[in-house]
Parts: sequence; structure tokens; C-alpha cells
Amino acid sequence: MAEPDAVQTFEEGLAQIRAGFEQGLRAAKDEPELRLINARYVGPQGELTALLKLMPKLPGDRRRELGQAANALKQAIQQAFDETLERIHRSAREAELTGPSLDLTLPGRWQMPGRLHPITRVRNDVLDIFVSMGFDIADGPEVELYENCFDKLGFPPDHPATDEHDTFFVDGNRPPDAPSVLLRTQTSTIQIREMMKRKPPLAIVSPGAVYRRDDDATHSPMFFQLEGFLVDQDVSFAELKGVLTLFLRRLFDEHVALRFRASYFPFVEPGGEVDMSCVFCRAWEEDHARTAACRVCKGTGWMEILGCGMIHPVVFENVGYDPEKYTGFAFGMGLDRIAMLKYGIPNIKLLYENDVRFLSQF
Amino acid sequence: MLTSFRWLQELCPVDADVGEVARRISLAGLEVEAMERKGHDLSGVVVAEIRAKQPHPKRDSLTLVRVFDGENEHDVVCGATNVPDPGGRVLFARSGAVLPGGMQIASRKVAGVESNGMICSEEELGIGADGEGIFVVDTDHDALPGTNVADALDLHDVILDISLTPNRPDCLGHVGIAREIGVLFRESYSPRKAAGPRQTFLPEGSFEPGQPTTRLAPFWDSESEKIDSPKLPAVSVQIVDGDRCPRYGAALVSGVEVGPSPFWLRYRLHNLGLRALSNVVDATNLILLEWGHPIHGFDLDRLRGSKVVVRLAGEGEKMATLDGIERTFTSDDLLICDGEGPVAVAGVMGGLESEIRDDTKHVLIECAYFDPRSIRRTSRRMGLHTDSSHRFERGVDPEAIPHVLASASSLIAELGGGAVATDAIDRIVRAHQPASIQLRPERASRLLGTPVSKEESMRILKSLGCRITDHGEDTIDAETPSWRPDLTREVDLIEEVARVRGYDEIPTAMPRAHVSEAGTPGILKLVDELRDAAVACGLYEAINYGFLSMEDLRKARVATDAVPLANPLSEERAVMRTSLLPGLTSAASRAQRHGATEVRLFEIARTFLPTEDVLPHEQTVLAINLAGDRPGWIGGERAFDVYDGKGVIDAIIDRVFGRKPELVPGDVPSFMHPKRSGVVTLAAQRVGFVGEIHPEVADDLELIGRVIYAELDVSALHALSEKLAPPQARDLPKFPAVTRDIAMLVRDAFAAGEIADALQQASNGLAESVRLFDLYRGDQIPEGHRSLAFRVTYRDASGTLTDKQVDKVHGALAKVARDRFDATIR
Repeated sequence: MAEPDAVQTFEEGLAQIRAGFEQGLRAAKDEPELRLINARYVGPQGELTALLKLMPKLPGDRRRELGQAANALKQAIQQAFDETLERIHRSAREAELTGPSLDLTLPGRWQMPGRLHPITRVRNDVLDIFVSMGFDIADGPEVELYENCFDKLGFPPDHPATDEHDTFFVDGNRPPDAPSVLLRTQTSTIQIREMMKRKPPLAIVSPGAVYRRDDDATHSPMFFQLEGFLVDQDVSFAELKGVLTLFLRRLFDEHVALRFRASYFPFVEPGGEVDMSCVFCRAWEEDHARTAACRVCKGTGWMEILGCGMIHPVVFENVGYDPEKYTGFAFGMGLDRIAMLKYGIPNIKLLYENDVRFLSQF
Repeated sequence: MLTSFRWLQELCPVDADVGEVARRISLAGLEVEAMERKGHDLSGVVVAEIRAKQPHPKRDSLTLVRVFDGENEHDVVCGATNVPDPGGRVLFARSGAVLPGGMQIASRKVAGVESNGMICSEEELGIGADGEGIFVVDTDHDALPGTNVADALDLHDVILDISLTPNRPDCLGHVGIAREIGVLFRESYSPRKAAGPRQTFLPEGSFEPGQPTTRLAPFWDSESEKIDSPKLPAVSVQIVDGDRCPRYGAALVSGVEVGPSPFWLRYRLHNLGLRALSNVVDATNLILLEWGHPIHGFDLDRLRGSKVVVRLAGEGEKMATLDGIERTFTSDDLLICDGEGPVAVAGVMGGLESEIRDDTKHVLIECAYFDPRSIRRTSRRMGLHTDSSHRFERGVDPEAIPHVLASASSLIAELGGGAVATDAIDRIVRAHQPASIQLRPERASRLLGTPVSKEESMRILKSLGCRITDHGEDTIDAETPSWRPDLTREVDLIEEVARVRGYDEIPTAMPRAHVSEAGTPGILKLVDELRDAAVACGLYEAINYGFLSMEDLRKARVATDAVPLANPLSEERAVMRTSLLPGLTSAASRAQRHGATEVRLFEIARTFLPTEDVLPHEQTVLAINLAGDRPGWIGGERAFDVYDGKGVIDAIIDRVFGRKPELVPGDVPSFMHPKRSGVVTLAAQRVGFVGEIHPEVADDLELIGRVIYAELDVSALHALSEKLAPPQARDLPKFPAVTRDIAMLVRDAFAAGEIADALQQASNGLAESVRLFDLYRGDQIPEGHRSLAFRVTYRDASGTLTDKQVDKVHGALAKVARDRFDATIR
């Protein structure tokens, strides 16, 4: 029943495969070539796989022996394949590690983020500091009642204190006795709204857009302010100084010195303005020579940075707090001005032109 | 206010240089904004004597002058017509001198004749406004040729520009600032007496009988010669509206001669920003600058009936003011009238008819106290802000009236000659009442956060001019001085104490923790999150003005029912925006004009929508605008399209809410493309829209190409965010997934999303996801069709799926595609 031809064919096949594989292995230069050789002999369609299909035709007495030989060859091929593959991998890695570098100057491949507006950046910086001190954030309407913007804040009627607030009034077909409505000229309106809504203790900062009828090289008819206030029992001017000193040092530089000057805002008393040592000529450093030429402080060494004071008792009376029981402080600053200082922006108008060539700088 | 440091030193000498004085008053609230030295920049200009003069050989308008400058004689060509005769003295800029305007003096030929130096006018030297002729030194001046002009004319001064807050009318004159310096440097100060006129007369018959008067002599420093009363019609002052004019004083100077003022006066006015006119007018201006109290000189001969009547105007009453403008008044305007009609707008501006002229002989000087609010209303209504109204509307010192009248009449007589009536009319309808305020040093200590002693408080209050009427163990009762209308309650006195001590004396402290119950409203946090998410998506933040033009709204086809401004700066900014579209797209359009190839902008701001209420509804909106090319996109179809807008919205909402929004067809605003935009929903709530701007609108807005616009309603998102539960952790899959693709040819009418949903539903819960991964139109695809390929991920939570199971369900999906969507499976 057994065919001697089959034995011969099988044996010759094994020999050819061994020889062919070894030759192919030596010739293989990289992994794909190696895998090709491997597949040619031991893959599903490979020569050895095909040869093994002849096994049933082998005579019984030789079948076991030849089967073992075929398996040995298969294992040898597998082993040689593994070894060669590893060698190829190793030499490829060696070549990568010792060869030329990638061109890392080619452009990166990712969607770049956009940018926050410089005013928002400054606003966030300022808010972070006050929030970390325990202040809440609040906001209020931009179109406001005259009462909240002036009367309740203690601006006397027909008083020149409103001169600095050249106000946009809202027109409308309202009855003649309807309250006067305007675009808020200051974020201090939020003081009034929050105090009427809540009870002390209160510590609130409120950023927002404000409007004044000024439009020239240094004024924009809309700009951004940030107002802050704190009300409790026994709040003192010393604490106002403490909070503002800490704030400005965190925002600008731990070395800045502050100067509190007396000033006037109807809703605070004692009222003041804060000058900060110029952060451009850095007068506190040993190299003082730059001060005289400083464009920002004009050689004075000081720059005006915010207004502040103890909340006026009339404001407390207007919102229904007992001024004998509660005291508090308030402060306000221009975010535009801080952004301009911080980012060296020469002209306030740039902040509202939305030129991407400008916006992409921050 | 411009202030002469020299003058301040005359009024209240202190042992400190100008820098120190400026620093101290700045810290105390009188902010010195600028300092300008005068007289230091004229080093090459000297007094020179005319030695000879002769006409220029070629030009009649020029004179050849030989001058002696103390060292040498120089020949100069002069164009002025007032060159004095030999012996006269002029101001001579030597060759090499640099004049204040930057003009360099050099020898040069003028019309063919060598000129060595220049004979100067006031204007050329910056010491006056007169540029008509050269400056001629007074003959009685003793300056020798060669004397530097600054020394000869005593030009040295420092002008301080002080920015005054509106609560300090007392400092609108040198007297008040000197008083403040006295307080800060602890120098006792009281306003000095005037020199006193040489001649005075008793006003017998000069005033109508019964006119209340006040004596001026206590405010004069020297005795005067009494002369007979001039024969003048009797003057009377009548106050009709006493609420508007509680006090009115009038002094009389008789026999003046109007003429030019001496140089020292003109120079002082010039440095302080006023133009010299004539001695009488200049005197009133100098008194204004000294006392901060506006006074007005009437030509008595032109005061009809010799009467002054202070009354409210009749509605529509008219008068021409000094500036030559005919003014019409309302019944709220206070007028100064004579026997026949108005002669001045009280506290604001004089009338044309009664002003001082060259032939004026008798001057009636008005010094009054007007109700500040009244003056302010009139000044605002007339659009006329003057040195006078500026002071009256802030509140002048009513008690200073006699002293001011004494100073003014003395000065007018000194400059213009004449005699002064020893008494002035002084009508008081309502006497000034000082405010009585109790200061508790303990309260001051607590408010300031530093100990304030009673003794120190009293010392400071007294130095400010307060009268201490009583004091107990912990209290001080004080009456405030008449020049400080801003001091009305205890806290005002606390501020005074703090200010005079110096805010720098107050230590710094940190407040106790103030834990608030409410915290920051969530919507503010949401706005920040949206902003950060938009930036993370590659967008740049824009900030536009809240107002724009009606035309902007119309062009953008957004709501035109807008909040209008009553007093806009221009029509361009006349209404509040009802949408962020016009602002954002105008930035985009501008960028495109600049040649920007891509625009990626967003803005989070408010729109203002009129309501039935007094205040409009302010709605916070996130708007997004994409135009041009995708950044970094290589290959065809580079321009942004609707799907970029959708992707940005998906990404922003996913980042903030951890969910994917839906984009569904629906009711979009009319400025959006009807077929290329849709409504964004989140948890089945409408939260915004995204798509292409309507091509017609884009054209009107001058936008190039297809422009993508989206809006998210921040309030709607915030309302949702309060409702949406936070994401809950799910088990990770325990069994492997199997992916199979299904590709089909379908008609365009079927939306890919709809097909994906149907496939998912048909999977009987086995399809974990159905994702479109290929879309193809082209050669092999019939018209109106497209090829869609979905990748379906199957997973069974309870076990490993077998091929057989997957085959079965995948077959069911194909059947759904064929049956419901008429698809040909490929």
C-alpha cells in the first residue's frame, strides 16, 4: 500500500525546504522579507505545510520517523526565524539610535489652542488672587438705574462729582416719571445690588464692562473695571491696606511698595488712591538709573493703580445696613489699564479692535 | 488747578523745597500732576540798552538797532514798531541763546543786513501772551544792561498743576492751598490782610438807605486817606430769590482809570493760564486765583438804576453774555439784573452790556455766595463751564465775602487808582451755619485700625479751622470752618485726621476670614468654563463695544428692537446690541480685508433686549465665528464648513458638560442659511444654533466665502447644568468587542445620523457604537446617491460574542438598511 515514491518525495521535500529556507534567511534584509520567506515555507500556503499534507500517503513504518523529521524542521525554521527576526530588530534599533536624527523642525501636528483676550487674562489673574483670599464673584446689569449708579452710592444731586462720569443715558418711550436709566459708569453699582440682596459678612469682587462718554487717544467709551468690597463688623482701613498690599504684590511683584494718597470718591470715606512703585523701572532694585527715563511713571517712580476707601456710612444707610454696626472697605481698578501695563499695550483702542494679529500675541 | 509755588510761599512760608511740598500735599489729597519751572531757561537773554536806531536800508518795516548788553554793542535787525529811543531798555537774546520754544538765536542776514541776536517779545520768551511788539522795560525799573532777564523781571517760579477732587472747593485758590500747606507743615496760617487802598471815602449817599453793610477796614493793612464821597447815584442790592443767593456783597471803587496791568500781574496770570486784559479785569482774576472766590466787576455807569437785583429768570428771558452769544434762560436760571434787565448770569458769566470797558470810571465789585446746585444746573444747561461756575458749583466760602471784597477793592485801587468805599453792601438772606459734628476718637481708631488720641484729633481739627465747642472723655464737638462744605458728619472728620496724619501712618493688617453663605453664582463659573473651552478649540477671544448702530443691526438682520441711547457719541454707537453677530463678524470682515486666511473668533458678552420693565433683559451669549481656511489643513476642501462649526460646539459642550449635543433641523434665525444650519440641543433642550451665515447677509456684512456662525445661550446652558446629573462611573467591559463594517449606497435624502440610529436600534442592544467612517460620492456612485460606510462595534456585556451571533445581528442591520433606506449593501 505504501508508495516508496512518497517517501522519497517527502524526504527530498524536507531537504529542499531546509536548504531553501536557509538560503532565504541569509538573503532576508528586513522584517517584511523575512516574514515573506517564513510564509513561503511554514505559512498556511507554505511549502512545508503542503508537504505535511502528504503525511497520510507515507507508509506506516516511516510515517512516525518522517513526521518527527518534519516537525524538527518546522521547529528549526521557527527558531531560526525568531533569532533572525530578533537580530533584524536589534540592528534596526541600533541603526535608529546611532543614525541621523529626525528633522524635528517639521511642524507639530495638533490643533493649537486660541487665546484669551488680554483683559480676560488680567481679570482671571486678579480674580484668582481675591478668590483665594475668600472673596466671592458677583456681577450686575450694564444697563442700570441712575439710582444705583449715583444716588445710592452717595453722589449728591447736581454735584460735580459726577463730572468724571460722563454718562450715557438710555432713551426710551417711557413715562416721564419712570426712573432714569443709564449705562453703568462704574462697577460700584454691584456693591449696591449685592448689599441690598445679602447681609454681612460680605466679601465680593465684581468685574465688568462700564461705559463713559469719553473717546480719545487714552479713553475708550467702554472699558473694564473691577470692584471689590468687604463688609463686616470692625473692618478697618488697616485691613484695606493689608488686602491691597497683598493683592498688588501677588499680581505684580513681591517687592512693590505702595503709597496710599488721600482722594475723593463719594461712596468711600476716608477715600484714597494707591500708587505702586513703578514695575517698569523697578526702582526698588539697585540699578536705579532707569527711573528717570521711565515712560510709564515719567520718572516719579510711582504709578497710580487703584482707588479705594472705607465704605461711606451713607451707602450703608441707603442699603439698610446700620453704619454704627458695620464698616467695610471698597476698591476699584481699571482692568484695561492693568492689561496695558502688564502687556505693554500702547493704545487702549487696540483692546477693542479685535485684530487677530493683536489677539494672538497674548 | 495751576498754582504758583512762589505765591504759596508768600502766603504761607514753609521750610521745604517745592518737591517736598508737592509730595506732602499730594499724599494729603491735592494731587500734583505736573511741575513746571519758570524763568530757568532764559540764560542767554539779558536786559540791553538801545544805543542807536535807524531805518533798514531796504525794508521800511524793519529797524536797525544797536544795543548794549552790558558787555558789548550788537547790531540787530528788529521787525517791531515799538523800538524805544536810545536809552530805552529791551530784552535781548544773545547769539547762541535758545528760547523756550526751541528757537536757536544765531547771527544771520536779514534782508541783506547782518543781525546779531534778537530783541524779544513777551511771547517769544514765554513770559506773556503779547506777541505784537518787543518787550520794553519800564523806565523806572533799575535793571542794568547785562542783567539776566529772569533776575531783572523776577521770573523765577514753579507752577504746580494740582488735580483737585470736587469735594475741595477751598483749594480752588492759593489761599486755600496755603492753608492746607500750613496744616500739613504745622505752620499757623491765616489769610493775610490786603495792603489797603491809599484813598477811601465813607459811602454816605453811595448806597440806598437801609442797605446792610460791612466794614472793609479790618481787612486792610494800612491806614488810608479819607476823601469826600464822590457824587454818585445811590446803589442798592435786592435779593429776590434768597434760596439761590443766600448772601451778596458789593464794594465800590470810584475814579479808576482802566489801563494795562503791570508786568508782575500779567506774568502771574500768564503762568496760571489766564490772559491779561486790563487792570480792573486782571485784578478780579487775580483775586479769583488768590481766594478761589469768583468776583465780578460792573461798570456802575452802565448799571441802569444803579440797582442790583438777584432773581430767577423768566422763562425765555434773553441776554447776551460776555462771549457775545445771545442766551435764552429758563425759570431755573439765576440772573443778576439791574434796574431794567439782566446784566449777568449769576455765578457763570457776565453780560456784554455791563462789562468793564476802557472808559469805566466806577466799579461795583460783586462777591456773592450762590447755591451750588443752582449754578451747576444753569452751567450744564448752557453748556458753559467757566472758572466762576466751576467754583460756585463746588461751594465758595460765604464767610470770606468781606475779606475778598476788601482785597479786591484794594487791588483795583492800587492798579487803577481811585478811592474805595470804606463799607460794602453785604446782604445776608440766610447766614452760614457751621456744621456741628461730634468726633469719637475711639470710633476713628477702630475705623482706621490704629490708635487715634483725643489730643491729636483736637490739634488736627483746630489746625483745619474747626472750632472745638466741647469735649468729653471720648468725644470732641467741633464746628466746621465755612470754607469746608465737605465736612458734614463724623466720618468726614475721621478722614481729616487720617489725611493730615498721612495714610502711610496707618499699619497694614489682614482681615479675619469672611466666609460667605452664597458663594459665587454658578453661571459665572460656567462662563469661564465656556471661555476656556472655546480657547482650547483654537478660538481667539474678541471683545466688542456693547453699542453699535441701527444700521449694523439691520444689515445683520438681527432684532432691531434695541435699547437706544439718549446721548450717543455718534450714530455708529447709538443703540445697545441685540446680538453679538454684527460685532463679531465685523472683526472677521476686517481680518479678511487685512488678508487673514483664517478667522477663528469667539465672544462671550451680553445682548440687551427691551422688556416691559424699566431695565432691559441682559442675556449672556457665547458666539463663534469661523471663516477662511482650517488651520494646518493640507489637502483639498480647506475652507471651514458647517461641520467645523458643529465640531467646535460639540467639543465645547463635551468639555464643559461631558455630553454630546445634537444638531437638528429647526427654527434658526433669519440671518442663518436655511439649508446649512441647525439648532443645537442638549438633553433635548434648545441651547443654540450653528451653521452658515445666510449668503445674502454675508454679502451685506462684506464677508468673503462661506462664513460659519454659532451661538450658545449661556443662561439656557446654566439652567441645564443645574439639572444634569454628574456623570456616573460605569463598569469597564469584561468581554471583548467585535467590529464589523457595513457599506451601503443610499439616496442623499436619508441622513447619515438617521441611518446610524436605525442600525443601532436594530442591533438589539449588541451594537455598542455605530460610527460613520467613510463617505464617498464620485464616478461609481449614481447621481443623488452617496456611499456610506459605518463601523459597528458589537459587544455583549454578559459574554464573549461568537461569530455566529455577530453574523446574525449584522445581517439584521443590513436588512434594516435595505428595507428602510432602500440601500444597496456593498
